Amino acid sequence: MTKPRPMQLATLALLAAGLAASPLLAQGKTFTVGVPLPLTGEHAKFGEMKKQAYQMAADEINAKGGAKGTKLVFDIQDSGGKPDTAMAIVEKFITINKYPIVVGEYTSQCSFAVAGVAEKYKVPYLVDTGATDKITQQGWKYVFRLNSPAGLYAKGVFSFFEEVAKPKSVAILYENTDFGTSTSKSMKDYAESHGMEVVLSEGYQSGAVDFKPILQKVKSLRPDIVYMVSYLMDASLLMRQSKELDLNAQAFIGGAAGHTLPEFLENAGDATELCMAATLWTPQVKYPGAGAFDANFKKQFKKAPSYHAAEAYATAFVLADVLSRAKSTSPDDLRDALAATDMMTAFGPVKFQAWDKFTNQNRMETLVGQWQKGKFETVWPKTLASAPYLYPAPRWRDRK
Amino acid sequence: MTPHTAGQIELLGQVLISGVLLGGLYALIGLGMSLIMGVMKIINLAHGELMMVGMYVTFWAFTLGKIDPYVSLLIVIPVLFVLGAMLQKWLIAPVMEAESILPENQVLLTVGIGLVLSNLALLAFSADYRSVPVSYASKTIYWDVKTGGQTISLSFSFAMLVAFGIALVLGAVLFLFLGYTDLGRMIRATSQDARAASLMGVNTKRITYITFGLGSALVGAAGALLAPVYYLFPQIGGPFTLKAFIITVLGGMGNIPGAVLGGGVLGLAESLGSVYISLGYKDAFGFIIFVLVLIFLPKGLLGKGRA
Repeated sequence: MTKPRPMQLATLALLAAGLAASPLLAQGKTFTVGVPLPLTGEHAKFGEMKKQAYQMAADEINAKGGAKGTKLVFDIQDSGGKPDTAMAIVEKFITINKYPIVVGEYTSQCSFAVAGVAEKYKVPYLVDTGATDKITQQGWKYVFRLNSPAGLYAKGVFSFFEEVAKPKSVAILYENTDFGTSTSKSMKDYAESHGMEVVLSEGYQSGAVDFKPILQKVKSLRPDIVYMVSYLMDASLLMRQSKELDLNAQAFIGGAAGHTLPEFLENAGDATELCMAATLWTPQVKYPGAGAFDANFKKQFKKAPSYHAAEAYATAFVLADVLSRAKSTSPDDLRDALAATDMMTAFGPVKFQAWDKFTNQNRMETLVGQWQKGKFETVWPKTLASAPYLYPAPRWRDRK
Repeated sequence: MTPHTAGQIELLGQVLISGVLLGGLYALIGLGMSLIMGVMKIINLAHGELMMVGMYVTFWAFTLGKIDPYVSLLIVIPVLFVLGAMLQKWLIAPVMEAESILPENQVLLTVGIGLVLSNLALLAFSADYRSVPVSYASKTIYWDVKTGGQTISLSFSFAMLVAFGIALVLGAVLFLFLGYTDLGRMIRATSQDARAASLMGVNTKRITYITFGLGSALVGAAGALLAPVYYLFPQIGGPFTLKAFIITVLGGMGNIPGAVLGGGVLGLAESLGSVYISLGYKDAFGFIIFVLVLIFLPKGLLGKGRA
């Protein structure tokens, strides 16, 4: 290489300075948040839905000038639903992209993995879907959660048991990763401490073709309640095959997720009728903006939003609120602003608290919905209900 | 007979029914891979993705043309046959001929093909779960048996029964084809010793195209049969490739009756294991049998396959 001339040196210096300065310039006009999501793999559908909700919220926020003049931007990367990939993405977000805050992920497994990485690097991570209890039970300082933990999903169901159903026995089927295991444990603990017999409690591998053997076993044990914690397609197959086997119960109850989604109705058809489910949010719940969010999402994306989409949507607004209060965009200042959050969103109230073993955990009501004639109505608690509950359910063969 | 005993008999009966019906479908999935392994000695790790393609063809035929899945077998079989033959001719065979590439690396090529297929599907059709909601999807045939003063109710899924029947028919047709037609004999000859077969005047290259096409057509057909009772998304293939592999080993590579038996064994192992031992380890039972067969009966359950 020839000896560099003065003009070449000057140009190189300007270029280097420009490159170094651009992130600072960019942050002044836009603020980027790192978001790992499963955009491929078996949960791709919900990763996609959350992505759409984040972007819809960002568009709304930015159209009103953003957060204190700063535009909110989401950098969404595909984890495929694999914890290792999610961890690698977040490490890259933190160490290379230098994003001061991370939100997202869908499965409990991935959320927990990402939380560990964020805590290690002291970067705040706002969980908005991952439900397994342990994510906010580690005493971590940088991990916050907007949605209820799995153990509380069924609180609405429990109060329904106490005041209406008073069942004596329950069979529990759950998908065997963090989500199903965590959510079903709360039902098991409740049953054992309230004199209900747990006739069966078995985890299954998501994706099976034929659940009939285990459903027949449940049938032979004659439980009052069948409680299932499943992702979408397993929920559909479980209900269809329960109907085919004429497996009857006073109620089939899902632990959120699969049993609450519009696609559950599309795939299981009339096998969904009278099925109940614990749920975190419905479009008719009386929180400001919930109905509008549902209508706008349907208009823009031609499909109904699941409660995961509502979670993502609310998260964007929480971020905007945090940005407008934070002393700076350093991870620690963002973390402190996040901890001081106290606001209402379309998903519900957001205020991070500590109780029992939980820290930085938002505290919300959980609802019970029921599929009635193809609509998922809120049936419990009565104060938030949109339709009366129908219990107990008649036998499959006796139904019209 | 006490109600409890009746309940236990009902449970066993239902479990056996599930195991056998599912086993028939598994057998069809495994047959294709066994054939390909027998003739070309390569493990087709894109097998599940080929089934996925078959399922999407079935889905679109139903959604756009209102064609019943069982009727669309007439479309799926030729389409997958051509796809498989082309993959062999244009992608796999040239790689096998390149001497600088180790023979084992053809397996990597099939992995690549699988990735491309599933990601093309993701791009073209999105990650949404699809169903083929035929009117008889949940139709059930009930059979009540009165014995010992108790009634035992068994239920059969109509769609699974039909799938089982068609799978058996396809298996029988394949068996007769291989055993009694000239082309079938040429395929068997190539699988026994490709060099000797070519010395006898068999165009072994053409045979490999046809075999891959056949294997693909079989697994595509299995996909069409599975469509009414399961669901579909681009990455559905993986677990089924694994099951096909287990069945191929259980039956012995290239052994058709063995693959059918292997399918049945896998179906029953999953059914019985999930109820009487543990549901969570359902998939493990197939693997355990797989390992045991590899150790003690490397030529397959019937002892007539290639080790």
